[in-house]
Amino acid sequence: MSDPLFARLKQLIVDTLKLEDLPAADIPDDEPLIGGGLNLDSIDALELVVRLEKEFGIKITNSEEARTALASVARLAAFIRARAPKDKLPA
Amino acid sequence: MGQAAATCATLQAGTRALEFRPVLGPDGGDRVPLAPLPGRDLAETAPPDWLPAIEALAAEIPPAPWGAARHPVFVTSSNFGVGNLYAFRRTREPAHLVQATPSASVEFLRRRLGWGANVSLLSHACVSAHIGLLLATRVLAAGLAERALVFTFDFISPFVTGGFHALKILNGEMPAPYSARAAGSIGLGDGAAFAVLGRGPGEFQISGQQIHNEMHHFTANQADGAGFRACLAPLASAAAGRRLWIKGHGTGTLEAGRLEAETLARLFPAAPLVSWKGSLGHTLGSCGLVELALALAAIKSGRTPGSVGSTAPCFTDTVATESFANAGFDGVLLASNAFGGAHAALLLSHD
Repeated sequence: MSDPLFARLKQLIVDTLKLEDLPAADIPDDEPLIGGGLNLDSIDALELVVRLEKEFGIKITNSEEARTALASVARLAAFIRARAPKDKLPA
Repeated sequence: MGQAAATCATLQAGTRALEFRPVLGPDGGDRVPLAPLPGRDLAETAPPDWLPAIEALAAEIPPAPWGAARHPVFVTSSNFGVGNLYAFRRTREPAHLVQATPSASVEFLRRRLGWGANVSLLSHACVSAHIGLLLATRVLAAGLAERALVFTFDFISPFVTGGFHALKILNGEMPAPYSARAAGSIGLGDGAAFAVLGRGPGEFQISGQQIHNEMHHFTANQADGAGFRACLAPLASAAAGRRLWIKGHGTGTLEAGRLEAETLARLFPAAPLVSWKGSLGHTLGSCGLVELALALAAIKSGRTPGSVGSTAPCFTDTVATESFANAGFDGVLLASNAFGGAHAALLLSHD
């Protein structure tokens, strides 16, 4: 059974960055988001950070923390699980 | 701000002008390092609360028919009155429009300060002042002017501070330019300065200038430092035989700071490198001229301020965290970088 947080994050990436030709399920769990197959750059990262902060009620304090959090979908999920209020996480 | 000697003295003492203040001024928000003019709280007023400072600075410009055919004025800024544009959007008060666009802002100043029509407006993010100096130099070299005035200003506003905060580089940490830390941070400050340039010999000479744009990315440099090399390498040749110190850009971000410091150390291995943005904050488009004024004050005082706020370990051994005596040096390299991959540098020589 897939992790609902992983699925939510992948859909959020597709929606936020308007990746219209990419099914969310096709985003790998462990590949780099920045500079990897998706070829996201720092501006994309900024858009994601803004959306993630709003959706999950978390705070990313500096650009290095953003880079660490966005290392992969799996790393992002772990980052959010460690910081988000429980009621913000998908069941 | 017309007080370069006093500001230089505070830098020599290692004092920070930056203080933690709400990022959105009167509207609050996270506390970040800011250095507005004394008395400014980033409130969006019309006319803007920085106008008296501009007028006080302009009063120190040597008299000349500025704005006449052979006395051109180059006004540079990265923001002009963008804070007023944002204020107009929020309040719909027409008074904000007087300074809300670059052309309106410069025209307002032109009339207020009594300049003629020969006033040019230049903007290229944080290398704006360098561009102004370069064009002024070229106009003089072409015999098109007797003297040229370069005037620069950048005053922070909630629009500007909010934008850098959204990028996560203006955050809850004080900047430490060129320090090898886990996370980077910048500060933002108000800045304004002017320079009068003429032809012929003088106490200080601009003996080289260079600009380059990487055209790589809005907010990132080429990872191999090629952009920095393209701008700085030609000036290494021009500086041959001189003993230099370097005033770098050094905002406090990590990647750009590392690339800059490493490139400068390779090209100028004997030149101590300083950045004063750890104290003053980044004064954005005005930084090239504000920091040139401080460099001149440092030369006249005999002591170059170190990189206030920076501590070892640094990216290179050439970074000077403490102030040092500058007698025996006969030149300064001043460098700035900007969003969009712009680079600018100026070689200042003196006897």
